[in-house]
Amino acid sequence: MSLEKEQKVVDLIKVSFEDAEAEIQRERRVKVKVAPNRVFPLVAYLKGNGFKHFVAISAVDWIRDGEIELVYHLWNYDEKVHVMIKTRVPRDGGSMPTLKPLFNQAETYERDIHEFFGVHFEGNEKLDREFILEDWDGPPPMRKDFDTRLFSAEFYDQEDLESEALRLKIQPYKGHLKK
Amino acid sequence: MNGKNEIIREFEYFIGPQHPGITGNFSIKLKAKGDVILEAEARPGYLHRGFEKLMEQRHWIKNVPMVCRICVPDPDPNEVLYAMGVEELAGLEVPERAQWIRVMVLEMSRIQAHLSYLGGISGALGLYTAPQWMTGDRDYLLDRFEELTGARVYHIYTTPGGVRRDLPEGFEDRLRETLDYIEKRLTDYYRLIFDNPVFQKRTIGVGTMDPDWAIENGVTGPNLRACGIKADVRIDDPYLVYDQIEFEVPTETGCDMFSRAMIRFQEIQQSINIVRQVLDRMPKGPFLNKPGNPLMWRVPAGDVYVRVESSKGEFGYYIVSDGGVKPYRVHVRGPSMTHGIHVIETLLVGQRVADVSPIMFSLDICPPDIDR
Repeated sequence: MSLEKEQKVVDLIKVSFEDAEAEIQRERRVKVKVAPNRVFPLVAYLKGNGFKHFVAISAVDWIRDGEIELVYHLWNYDEKVHVMIKTRVPRDGGSMPTLKPLFNQAETYERDIHEFFGVHFEGNEKLDREFILEDWDGPPPMRKDFDTRLFSAEFYDQEDLESEALRLKIQPYKGHLKK
Repeated sequence: MNGKNEIIREFEYFIGPQHPGITGNFSIKLKAKGDVILEAEARPGYLHRGFEKLMEQRHWIKNVPMVCRICVPDPDPNEVLYAMGVEELAGLEVPERAQWIRVMVLEMSRIQAHLSYLGGISGALGLYTAPQWMTGDRDYLLDRFEELTGARVYHIYTTPGGVRRDLPEGFEDRLRETLDYIEKRLTDYYRLIFDNPVFQKRTIGVGTMDPDWAIENGVTGPNLRACGIKADVRIDDPYLVYDQIEFEVPTETGCDMFSRAMIRFQEIQQSINIVRQVLDRMPKGPFLNKPGNPLMWRVPAGDVYVRVESSKGEFGYYIVSDGGVKPYRVHVRGPSMTHGIHVIETLLVGQRVADVSPIMFSLDICPPDIDR
C-alpha cells in the first residue's frame, strides 16, 4: 500500500514548520504535534494548501500530565487526506487563540470545549454565551476529576451522603494521584 | 425610512424547544422585522444526556447499546463508527460477511432516514399526505429491522468484532420484496412531492448557499452535494466494503431546499441498488469475531478518527484509549454541529418566519447529535 500522498503532506508541513512532529498514522491519516502558538499559522497554511474542510476540534483531559490536549481535524477534499493537529494547553488557565477568522464553524467547537473542558479561546466573542449547559456554575463536567455520581448525590441533597455513596459503590476519580 | 415602514416593528420569536416539527428538542431565537428575519441564534442543549462522559465510565462493549441513541432518526452509523474505531485501535479483525451485513444495515438505515426526511420537509410545508405515506412505507423497513435485530429504532446490532446475529432464514427474500415495494413507490413520491406546485414555489431558490461558502463552513453530505460538489465519505475515505460496490453519487446544482430534497430522493434509489448488490454478493462464513471477556478486555493505547457517510452528512468518532478496560475519551462529531448552529444561523437571515421550519428540515438537523 503506497503512502505517497500522505508523505507529501508530511513534507509539506515540515518545509514550513520545522518544529512540528508529523507522522503518518495509516492510509489517509496524518498526525502532527505542535506548540499551541503554532496552531493558528499551521491551520492557515494548510487551508491555503487545499485543506478546506475543517472537521472538528476534540479535547482530551490528560489529568496525569495536568494538560488538556486539543486535536484539530482537517480534511483535504482533493488529496483525500485527514490531518490531526495536536497541541497541549495547561489544565489551569489554559488558553488558545480562536480559529474563527479562518473557519467560522470553529467558533461552535470552541464554545463546546470552553463549556465542557474550561479552555479559554481568545478572541471568541460568543464564549460567554450558554451553549449546551443551562444555568451551570459547577466545574467543567467533561474533566476527569468531575464525578457524575458524586455530583448528583450532592446536588439532589441526599440526607445520608456517605451511605448513599457506599450503596452506589462510588469513588471520586483519583487516578491522577497514582502516577 | 418612510412613514409606511415605521409601523413594522421588530419582534423576537422563539421557535421550539418543543419539537419544531419532528427534528427533536431544539430552539432558535429570531429577531425579525415584520416577518423578515434579521438575526437568528440557535440554542441547543435540550437533549444533552452526557453520552461522552458516560462512555468513559463503562467497559468498551457496554457502550454499544448507548451510542445508537446519539442520533435518533439514523442510529446505525453510530454503532458502526464506534465498532470501527474500537476495532482499529485493538487490531481486531472483522469477518468479511459482517462487513457486508454492516453495509446493508447502513443503507437500510439511510433509506428509512431519507423517507422520514421527505415526509418531514413536506409536512413543514403543509403537504400532509407525504408524511403519512412516508411513515407508512418506512414501517415496512422497520419490520425488516425488527426481524434482523429485534428492535425497530435502536438496533444495537453492530458490535466490535462483527454483528450480533446472522441473517434469519428467508430474510433476504423478504428484504428484496420490501425494496421492490419502495422502489415502485418512488414514482408516486416524485409526483406527490416534486411535481407539486406548492412544494416547488416554497423550495426553489429558498435557503440557498454558495458552494465555496458551504465547503469552508463545514457543510457535508447531501447538503454539500446539493451545491454540485461530489463529495461522499463512502468514496473519498472508503470504509467496510464500499470500494467493492458500484453506486452513483447524485449531485444537484440548485444549492436550495429543492435540490437538497431531490438529492435525498435520488439517494434512496442508490441505496436500494447497494442493498441488492450486498444481497447478491455477500459471502458465507462467520459473522462475529468475539473480542474476549467484555469485563477484562483491554484496548491498546492510541487514538483514532473514523468517519462514515450518514444520511445527514459526515459522522465521525475520535476515540482515545489509554490501554484500559474503558475508553479514555470518545468525541462524537455529528454533522448537525455545523449544520445546526452556524449554517442555519447564516441561512435564516433575510428569510421569512414561515420558512424557518422547512429550512431546518432541508438541512436535516438532528439536535441529539449536537447535544450528545
